[in-house]
Amino acid sequence: MRINRSTLSRAVYAALLLGLLALLLSGCDTDTPQNTFAADGEVARDQRDLFYLAMWPAIGVMILVELGLVVILLRFRRRRDDEVPAQVHGNTRLELAWTIAPALLLLVLAVPMMSLLFKLGEEPKDDAFIVNVTGVQWQWLFEYPEVQGPDGQPLKSAPGDPLVFPAGRRIHFNVTSLDVIHSFWIPRLGGKLDAVPTRHNRFWLKADEPGAWSGQCAEFCGKDHALMKLVAEALSQQDFDAWVDEKLAGIKTSSDAAGAIPAAHPDGVN
Amino acid sequence: MDHAVVSGHQFETSTGIDNRKLLMWVFLASECLFFGSLIAAYLLYRDRSVQGPYPDDLFDIPFTSVSAFVLLMSSVSMVLALASIQRGDRRGLQIWLFTTAALGILFISGQAYEFTEFYHHGLTLDRNLFGTTFFVLTGFHGAHVTVGILILLSLFVMTLQGKITQSESLHIELAGLYWHFVDIVWIVIFTLIYLIQP
Amino acid sequence: MAAVIGQRRSGLSEALRSAREAATGNNIWSWLATVDHKRIGVLYGFTAFFFFLLGGIEALLIRIQLITPESEFLNPDQYNRIFTMHGTTMVFLVVMPLSAAFFNLLVPLMIGARDVAFPRLNAFSYWTFLAGGIFLNASFFTGGNIFQGELGAPDTGWFGYSTLTSTKFSDGHGVDFWIFGLQILGIASLAGGFNFIVTILNMRAPGMSLFRMPLFVWMTLVTSFLIVFAMPVIAVALFELMFDRLFDANFFNPAAGGNPLLWQHMFSLFGHPEVYILILPAMGIVSEILPTFARKPLFGYPFVVFSGVAIGFMSWGVWVHHMYTTGLGTVANAAFGVSTIMIGVPTGVKIFNWMATLWGGAIKISTPLLFAVGFVGMFTIGGLSGITHSMVPSDYQQQDTYYVVAHFHYVLFGGAIFALFGGAYYWFPKFTGKLMNEKLGQLNFWTLLLGFNLTFFPMHMSGLLGMPRRIYTYSEGQGWDTWNLIATIGAFVIAFSVSVFLVNLVLSIMRGEKSGSDPWDARTLEWSLPSPVPHYNFKEIPHVHSLDDFWHRKYTEDEAGRPIPIVAGAAVDDEEHDGHDIHMPSPSYFPLIASSGFPVIATGLIYHTALVPVGVALLLVGLYGWAMEPATEESA
Repeated sequence: MRINRSTLSRAVYAALLLGLLALLLSGCDTDTPQNTFAADGEVARDQRDLFYLAMWPAIGVMILVELGLVVILLRFRRRRDDEVPAQVHGNTRLELAWTIAPALLLLVLAVPMMSLLFKLGEEPKDDAFIVNVTGVQWQWLFEYPEVQGPDGQPLKSAPGDPLVFPAGRRIHFNVTSLDVIHSFWIPRLGGKLDAVPTRHNRFWLKADEPGAWSGQCAEFCGKDHALMKLVAEALSQQDFDAWVDEKLAGIKTSSDAAGAIPAAHPDGVN
Repeated sequence: MDHAVVSGHQFETSTGIDNRKLLMWVFLASECLFFGSLIAAYLLYRDRSVQGPYPDDLFDIPFTSVSAFVLLMSSVSMVLALASIQRGDRRGLQIWLFTTAALGILFISGQAYEFTEFYHHGLTLDRNLFGTTFFVLTGFHGAHVTVGILILLSLFVMTLQGKITQSESLHIELAGLYWHFVDIVWIVIFTLIYLIQP
Repeated sequence: MAAVIGQRRSGLSEALRSAREAATGNNIWSWLATVDHKRIGVLYGFTAFFFFLLGGIEALLIRIQLITPESEFLNPDQYNRIFTMHGTTMVFLVVMPLSAAFFNLLVPLMIGARDVAFPRLNAFSYWTFLAGGIFLNASFFTGGNIFQGELGAPDTGWFGYSTLTSTKFSDGHGVDFWIFGLQILGIASLAGGFNFIVTILNMRAPGMSLFRMPLFVWMTLVTSFLIVFAMPVIAVALFELMFDRLFDANFFNPAAGGNPLLWQHMFSLFGHPEVYILILPAMGIVSEILPTFARKPLFGYPFVVFSGVAIGFMSWGVWVHHMYTTGLGTVANAAFGVSTIMIGVPTGVKIFNWMATLWGGAIKISTPLLFAVGFVGMFTIGGLSGITHSMVPSDYQQQDTYYVVAHFHYVLFGGAIFALFGGAYYWFPKFTGKLMNEKLGQLNFWTLLLGFNLTFFPMHMSGLLGMPRRIYTYSEGQGWDTWNLIATIGAFVIAFSVSVFLVNLVLSIMRGEKSGSDPWDARTLEWSLPSPVPHYNFKEIPHVHSLDDFWHRKYTEDEAGRPIPIVAGAAVDDEEHDGHDIHMPSPSYFPLIASSGFPVIATGLIYHTALVPVGVALLLVGLYGWAMEPATEESA
């Protein structure tokens, strides 16, 4: 009975751990639209690699602790009712060791963390491509200050339009909101940035190759938060230039199309 | 207030500090965070108002200095009240308790006058960030002073009824702790909000 | 007595006297007026468990909605209100008050006191908590016809980020109820915090120095300090939001220059200590259960104490890790990334110490131990995913995804709830004199472990596959379907497990096996008392000579340091004692009356100001009566 149950719990634990690990691994290489493992840009890739750097040791520690607990329970179970073990109160040296060792290990992890953090925080250079992103319940609006229309105004997207930008370059985003807090996120290109009213938050992303990705608002923003999605399209520089020409031609013919979009200005709130 | 659970007046606490006094200290520590948060909000929003009136337009430093002085003096009379009862002088206690409460009422009247003045010059809770943060911060402080006055007056009535004796000076001490705290908070507010203008 | 009643002495004071007398028996009045910490603990426990069931039902509704893509079981409005209430309920109405239940039940017994320092303040805490809980949930009924699915609860998430909470983006009264509900609950928590700080510092039995206190008492002390310092911060934030919503103030109004991030800073500054308010009591419970069932003292007691205190301090320096993606800048993120990494260290210390406590022990595998070990195992996973969060750049990907949902459920459910279940099984005999059923207990544990992991482990995956939190619907082809299906199945396994607990609870209360006073061969003072504990706790206040004092009354050591039982066993305080010469604090209705003022004031502020004076009057009557009645009355 006893042996049975302990074998059972051992089996349960082992199956649980192996199962979870298998599940975890199976998720990493699927080609789903918002899979953060399937990185298609420099930022997403760096972030994923940094995550691996923390995740693998974490999985290792997890297995050690869980197995350790099972082993301890099996090995030190009470065999007789009157069994009383030696009263060990502690071991200062051991405890100092397991305080200092993880602290050092974790500080080592802080080094690549910092270096990536500062890389992602880099400011745009002179030739950077900039896009202004504005969140408004429950859609995303994009403005291309680099692209001047015939009226001298920057090119703006209409509601529902995809975000279009050239592949292979750092794209710097200026993110803000007109109403509540949203979060701008294209998972396969990189981690997110909040769109906060009154603030213009900046970060950059980069697509390795031309392609299209889905993204969605990641900060709860009211009733239709779940539907606040976007499509990001990276084009080759050639295709992008063609797209720009086409857009500007469109403005010439119907000059009222862009006027419908509210300006991305914080004072627009209230 | 609850007395110590175990009956008998000789109950000793582990720290030697009376339960009620310790409670008051912990309560005041907690209050520090309360006022700290309010003051932080004021400082964060200083100079962020998009329309007037601004502090410079309204603050009457000499007037507020006088009312701050009044509150400061009330702390002195509070000390004298406690000293009186500790040496068994119930008459002195009555006089100084009443003085403290009266000075508190004077301070609150000054604040009411100041609020009305500001209101007449267009400062309201919803006018701008200055109005919002100023009224909420000083309003909460005023509410604390008002509660203090009520406590002082209750104690004053109790002294008239002869209910407060030398051995129960703790009541006065507790009220004093609270009163000094509220006073100190005002010194901080007065310094940070009125005196130090960027 | 009869003569006195016959004479009808005048008026109010007589009425009060007879009301007080009615509360001395074991009837409904006695529960309404109780100031006994054990009864208040029981009230806290059952009320919080009721809210746990409520929050659990909300969780099931969420999981049913997410079982398939494009589900139309709930509409977005209902979904948003339900997940908001689920979070708010589980934090403020379940884990915090369940911890408070254990504080109440155990702290006086563990430090050798007859009650807490302020018994009526303690009753006031409970009634205020109940009032806040009812008030918060009453919001469900304010949205129209609830039977047609028109819910009125808050719809802005339990974190209530500005500007979504402004009247412009959240009309209706849901958010108002949320503000006042949390404010009332905050008063309850503060009152409890003050009480337990004073109790622990001041009411210890002779010889019970700080470093002889059971670890649970230490964790209660740290938690109480966190409550006392964190609650005012959220109180101010809630006041500011209240002024914005009710009186058009500008704290969070961007048009007037207000900064929406101010709310996030204040909420997180409260919120991170709050996380430890939720988990430290659980750590305390586990630190009591493991040594008892291993028959070994806690390994490195001072280390565990200091790491708990360290966590308490450090919890004030990590709040920005809730805000990495709000654009505070690289330097701020870097600093808080490092502080977040470092708070993992004292947590890790505890895990190693718990394992070392079990190592070399004589471990009795029974339900409380299983839950405690389950806590260590599950909390470790939550802690490790927390370490991955401290990697700021990769957290940019995980922030606000289901990966975070997985993380904090491993900490708060796999952590706190497991420990609280363990504590319930462990201390049930102390207060009922009966054991809980062991077979049902083990069924409870194993199904909970299974259901818990089925529900929350897949969320790591759906999160990393890009599923944001708080979405009521998702489309096919994202690779999230399977994970969500598994999670929903797991949620129902949890529901089954909780029903097993409920059945076990009822059965054991009705006809549980008699436990005796010390069924687990435990180490701390409460087990030296008869079960159930008499209302006066200790016939004589004990003199404490060491850590684990009760253990040392039962076991001595031979020359080689091996423990040997003292033949006579411990002198358990079993003999009959009528407690006549012990004067306990008298029952009082005034805390209940005072507490009942709060929801009335709040309702008045939301709907009609005429109610405000009524509420204030109730509060003042309660406080006045409280101040004027003697705390302890000579028994007739």
